[in-house]
Amino acid sequence: MLEIKDLRASVAGQDILKGLNLSVKAGEVHAIMGPNGSGKSTLTNVLSGRDGYEITGGQALFDGRDVSELDPEQRAHAGMFLAFQYPVEIPGVSNLEFLKASLEATRKAQGKEPWDAVTLLKKARETCKQVDLDPQFLKRGVNEGFSGGEKKRNEIMQMLLLEPRLALLDETDSGLDIDALQVVARGVNSLRSPDRAIVLVTHYQRLLDYIVPDHVHVLAGGRILKSGGKELALELEQKGYGWLTDQEDVPA
Amino acid sequence: MTDAVTSTAQRAAARPAPVAEPLAHKLAAQALSLAEQAAAQSDALSAWRQAALAQLAALPFPSKKTEQWKYTSLMALDAGHLTAQAPDQAPSQTLPEPLAPWRLVLINGRYHAELSQLPPQGVTLTRLDGSAEAPLEAPLSVAEDGLRTPFAWLNSAALQDGLLLTVADGVALDAPIEVLLLGSAEAASHCHTRLRLQLGAGSRATLIERYIGQGPVLTNAVTELVTGDNSDLVHYRLQAEAADTLHIGSLILVPGRDSRATSFQLMQGNALRRNDVRVLMAHSGASASLNGIFVGRGNTHTDNQICIEHRVPHAVSDQLFKGMAGDKARLVFNGRIHIFAGAKGTNAELSNKNLLLSPGAEVDTKPELEIYNDDVKCSHGTTCGQLDAQALFYLRSRGIAEPEAKRMLAFGFVNELLAALPDAAVAEWARPWLESALTEAAQA
Ligand SMILES: Nc1ncnc2c1ncn2[C@@H]1O[C@H](COP(=O)(O)OP(=O)(O)O)[C@@H](O)[C@H]1O
Ligand SMILES: [Mg+2]
Repeated sequence: MLEIKDLRASVAGQDILKGLNLSVKAGEVHAIMGPNGSGKSTLTNVLSGRDGYEITGGQALFDGRDVSELDPEQRAHAGMFLAFQYPVEIPGVSNLEFLKASLEATRKAQGKEPWDAVTLLKKARETCKQVDLDPQFLKRGVNEGFSGGEKKRNEIMQMLLLEPRLALLDETDSGLDIDALQVVARGVNSLRSPDRAIVLVTHYQRLLDYIVPDHVHVLAGGRILKSGGKELALELEQKGYGWLTDQEDVPA
Repeated sequence: MTDAVTSTAQRAAARPAPVAEPLAHKLAAQALSLAEQAAAQSDALSAWRQAALAQLAALPFPSKKTEQWKYTSLMALDAGHLTAQAPDQAPSQTLPEPLAPWRLVLINGRYHAELSQLPPQGVTLTRLDGSAEAPLEAPLSVAEDGLRTPFAWLNSAALQDGLLLTVADGVALDAPIEVLLLGSAEAASHCHTRLRLQLGAGSRATLIERYIGQGPVLTNAVTELVTGDNSDLVHYRLQAEAADTLHIGSLILVPGRDSRATSFQLMQGNALRRNDVRVLMAHSGASASLNGIFVGRGNTHTDNQICIEHRVPHAVSDQLFKGMAGDKARLVFNGRIHIFAGAKGTNAELSNKNLLLSPGAEVDTKPELEIYNDDVKCSHGTTCGQLDAQALFYLRSRGIAEPEAKRMLAFGFVNELLAALPDAAVAEWARPWLESALTEAAQA
């Protein structure tokens, strides 16, 4: 589903991704871990097409298509979803109005049946409940004045409504208490299916107790340094990243 | 006739430094000539016209050197707008659906009774034309006079028709009165529109001024709102004319003691748009809230000059204006708050926020405070920015195409004003209006 080959990318003229390889197949859950500043968010931003994140080499294929040929909205239509590390506040645009525009455009592009206003509202309310968010939040400005945890749950709500085939979750677990973490995990797990894939960027092994990954990767210095099964996450929890990054620091 | 021409030339010659400003000089002469021809008529409005002519002749005509006209060139009037009157005609188009049960229609400044639905009992309509039996006394105070621009004086001096609406004491209208002002002409010309609303003590009314039209017609508008003690006024000024029209307008508001006045001005830029808004806080306990959305399209020009004078203690004013400029549009905003020495306990707020929707657009915004009293609260802020790139990406990453995402953000920018519109009919009108204003603003 997602094939990343020798991907190089720069931000503000600075090389951040330096030859990254990753292969994600339908049905799989991948966890990407790594120290701060190692390029995890850069990877998710490059994949979803954020301005200013420039691919300087290699490629990322989504369903065999080079993502760089697609606008951010086209990537969403193709089934990609990014849960932002820092969801953006948009005062004056209500959450419901936003969901309506998003679902209308995406479902149309995907050839799915459109939802009328009543169906949309019903689904949105149900999904709010599913992620433990008061449906009153639908009336508020997008993420406006939401707490950190509410913003993250709002991301998961959107994900559940959009039913992406590839979900990229950038530190959706950060700053969540254990209850909220379980809510998020339940939401993500409910999306798991043989034709979908999930990439979790996380700092903590804790999330992986609830969403059990098939593969764990360590990203440092703009490259995948090590890949393994879920036990790698436990090992990282015990040893930190030092033992991997130290090796990397050895001059070639 | 010969006489009038001579005196025009003499008056114009007496102006300072006319040689350096040939255009201003020419326009001033045209305006005076217009006013003098009108003042020569002998009818019920003679006294108004004569007094206004004297004021017009004494005031310097706007030029590039006039500070308040720094950003607005009158070059657009060079095509002879001031020399030809827009035709007195039946509507050239089907009139839009009314926004209120009572609607009065003016076409190129002329009242059309056959197209109008008169307001109910408790509201008196007086036509400000020459036909009245007794001479019409100017119901204006000297304090208001000081708020008038040369164009407003020209409006009085050349007045042929207009409407005076008087709401009797204690009358509370349960629906708005709409005044539809259609300005339309095929060739460069002008019309003067005149509207005055007087609210009695303890009364309540909503006035919707709606300007529509097309063609190279200059509408020189004056609207005066004078409200009584403890009255409530909601006022809308909807300016949805085509881009090729020109508009120079004055809005004068004098709220009564312990009264509340709220005004919303929604406007699109056109070939020339200049709005001078003057609010006189001359009665304690009065509150005035001025709100506006302006959207610039194409090559249009929109200049809003707001001035609030707090002359007495304990009055409250607030201003919230939001501008959006697309393509090569120009927006000017000058918000002046003048708090006089005796006006203790004044509370005055001013906010003007602007969004540049295109790299070729331009905004000039400035708060101007003159405060001669320590015991006041006064806050002001003006900003100018672009669409938030992060918000735009967020929307796009959710499948919303870029033009739609931009439209949503622009709506979001002014949403607090849309949401505050107190009348459902206007709120319903405003959304599609903004929709099409933004579509036009997005065109290059
Ligand atoms: N928009 C940006 N402008 C400048 N530098 C950036 C930007 N985004 C990321 N970076 C830099 O790229 C590096 C990787 O950042 P990021 O991908 O956010 O790391 P991680 O998510 O792994 O913590 C950091 O050094 C960061 O400062
Ligand atoms: Mg990050």
